Amino acid sequence: MYKSLIELDLREEAEVVAFNGSSLMNRRLEGMGIRQGKKISRISSQYIRGPVIISVDGHQAAMGRGMATKLIVKPAERNGV
Amino acid sequence: MRVLLMGNPNVGKSAIFSRLTGSHVVVSNYAGTTVEYTRGFLQLEERELEVIDVPGTYDLEPTNRAEAVASEMIAGGELIINVVDASHLERSLHLTLQLLLTGKPVVVALNMWDEAQKAGITIDTARLEQLLGVPVVPTCALTGDGMVVLKSRVQEARSSSLVSENGASLWQKAAEISQKVQKAPERASTFRDKLDHTTVHPVLGPVFALFVLLVSFGFVAYFGNFLHEMLEGVFELLWLPVAAWISGLMGGAGMLHDILIGTLIDGEIHFEESFGLLTTGLYIPLAVVLPYIFSFYLVLSILEDIGYLPRLGVVVDALMQRLGIHGLSIVPMMLGIGCNVPGVMAGRMLETRKERFIVGTLIAIAVPCMAQQAMVIGLLGQAGLSGLAIVYGTLFVLWMVMGAIMNRFLKGESPEMLIDLPPYRMPYWESLWKKIYMRMNGFIRSALPYVLLGVFIVNLFYTLGVIGYISQVFAPVITGLFGLPGEAGGALIVGFLRKDVAVGMLAPLGMELNQLIVASVVLMVYFPCIATFVVLFKELGVRDLLKLTLIMILVVVITGGGLHLLLQATGF
Ligand SMILES: Nc1nc2c(ncn2[C@@H]2O[C@H](COP(=O)(O)OP(=O)(O)O)[C@@H](O)[C@H]2O)c(=O)[nH]1
Repeated sequence: MYKSLIELDLREEAEVVAFNGSSLMNRRLEGMGIRQGKKISRISSQYIRGPVIISVDGHQAAMGRGMATKLIVKPAERNGV
Repeated sequence: MRVLLMGNPNVGKSAIFSRLTGSHVVVSNYAGTTVEYTRGFLQLEERELEVIDVPGTYDLEPTNRAEAVASEMIAGGELIINVVDASHLERSLHLTLQLLLTGKPVVVALNMWDEAQKAGITIDTARLEQLLGVPVVPTCALTGDGMVVLKSRVQEARSSSLVSENGASLWQKAAEISQKVQKAPERASTFRDKLDHTTVHPVLGPVFALFVLLVSFGFVAYFGNFLHEMLEGVFELLWLPVAAWISGLMGGAGMLHDILIGTLIDGEIHFEESFGLLTTGLYIPLAVVLPYIFSFYLVLSILEDIGYLPRLGVVVDALMQRLGIHGLSIVPMMLGIGCNVPGVMAGRMLETRKERFIVGTLIAIAVPCMAQQAMVIGLLGQAGLSGLAIVYGTLFVLWMVMGAIMNRFLKGESPEMLIDLPPYRMPYWESLWKKIYMRMNGFIRSALPYVLLGVFIVNLFYTLGVIGYISQVFAPVITGLFGLPGEAGGALIVGFLRKDVAVGMLAPLGMELNQLIVASVVLMVYFPCIATFVVLFKELGVRDLLKLTLIMILVVVITGGGLHLLLQATGF
């Protein structure tokens, strides 16, 4: 089941699948280590449509909400669910 | 030989640069642009190498203007020292591979070695060296460990035999190499992570930000005043006798005396009121404004090197989005509070023309520089805090409203923010010092000459009676629109060239508090100075600058006039 990053529960583990945005943005994301196959989770979100804080590959980053909506991830299988 | 220091942002590149080159740095402009970079020299046995601190980049294919400079600079270098973050190896290696493919000789500094160790990461450097085909040296720029080895191995830098492949596989290659050489345990949560969490927490984050800003401005006010008093002493002790001697040589009067020394107060030179080029003209920028600019950039640079600024950007992002710019634009804004010149220049980190225009306009119109603030505090300070509160409040409202309007009506895109949040770190004082120097340089090199030129021109005009004439011409506007005495017109026009004289001319007019408030707002809103005008021209181009000027005139008229009516109606 694929989701966008924004739909992920807080601290739910997932894996990056794809980014549905411009190729320029995609390159910037890649440069920061946010690319296919990387483990990613959402740590917190700011209120009033502020950015989303994520943890990817052992470091943290902040990205706008629109971007987070376009980042498609695959939640890790959870035992017993 | 020219050596380029390259790496991702936040890998400790500036710290390595300081370690390699010592205290002597040169700030240069990149061929025909206002993009500045630092150069230094590295002594290696009998050879002296020129080292260039290239702006941090993730990719040689640029995604913004600052990165474009980085990739263009490669052509001019003969050797590359690639700084890599050992605690985030795979990500750093992507750039390393791109650098190797340029065919230039490369040596890799595996920096943040201490952090990697603390996190339990081990890296087989011999193996990495073998896989990359170039020397790899572990370093910790904070303590200086590994720097001697790095220097000695710079000579061994060589071109790698890695062959070119297409983009996607560079990432695979980076991942492959890092898997082969590194063992990393699962990361455990530390105290630092918790602190991290508080500062970007949706509720605690803004509270913390407010606290940090209050403490910072408190410090700037206190420490700035301390430095100011020291410099004042120096001026009185060392410069006053020289100036008095020159004054004596010229017989204490005459046109040249008026321009250089100004008017004597009770037969003596008065640094705050004589208004000569060599008296007030030097004293105000050097002994009054500079101490506050220095204190301000000290605090700001510490916050930056610790790693707080990106978090502040996160906290204010929701607000700034309404103004058509993302949260990181808070950095140019804050720089602008010191001196508008470096603030406007920092705006180039933004990607689109719309964003750069909004930031430039907001800085020029609604962000008061230290010189403007010193002036307004001098004018309004005695009358209590209420006047100052109204002035700053008006500027803040202007900032928001103008931003919202521009966001609405300007064409173009405002991309969202995307930023790394590096862990909190100890600043390395020497590179901190260099950064402050770089920033002050914006004021000293770009603004100060114009300030002095302005003093000269104003004094010349004054002695020739030009100012009095202009005053008369503009008097009806000034009185009708802003409710100020006619003589204030001259002061407001002079303020474009000289902030100090503007205050000096306004102070004796015996204005009411409401008039002082209107005059202060008008002085702050219109162009801060010619130097800012010049950088805005370089950064935005003629058309956008004209647009900005138009907006500025409109804003001055509307705000000044509106405030006048409002204060009158409320009987303030
Ligand atoms: N622990 C640790 N901190 C470092 C090291 N090198 C630099 N730093 C710190 O990391 C922060 C960012 O360094 P800076 O040189 O500004 O990074 P740049 O953006 O790559 O130029 C600063 O606070 C430095 O003091 C290192 O080897 N170990």
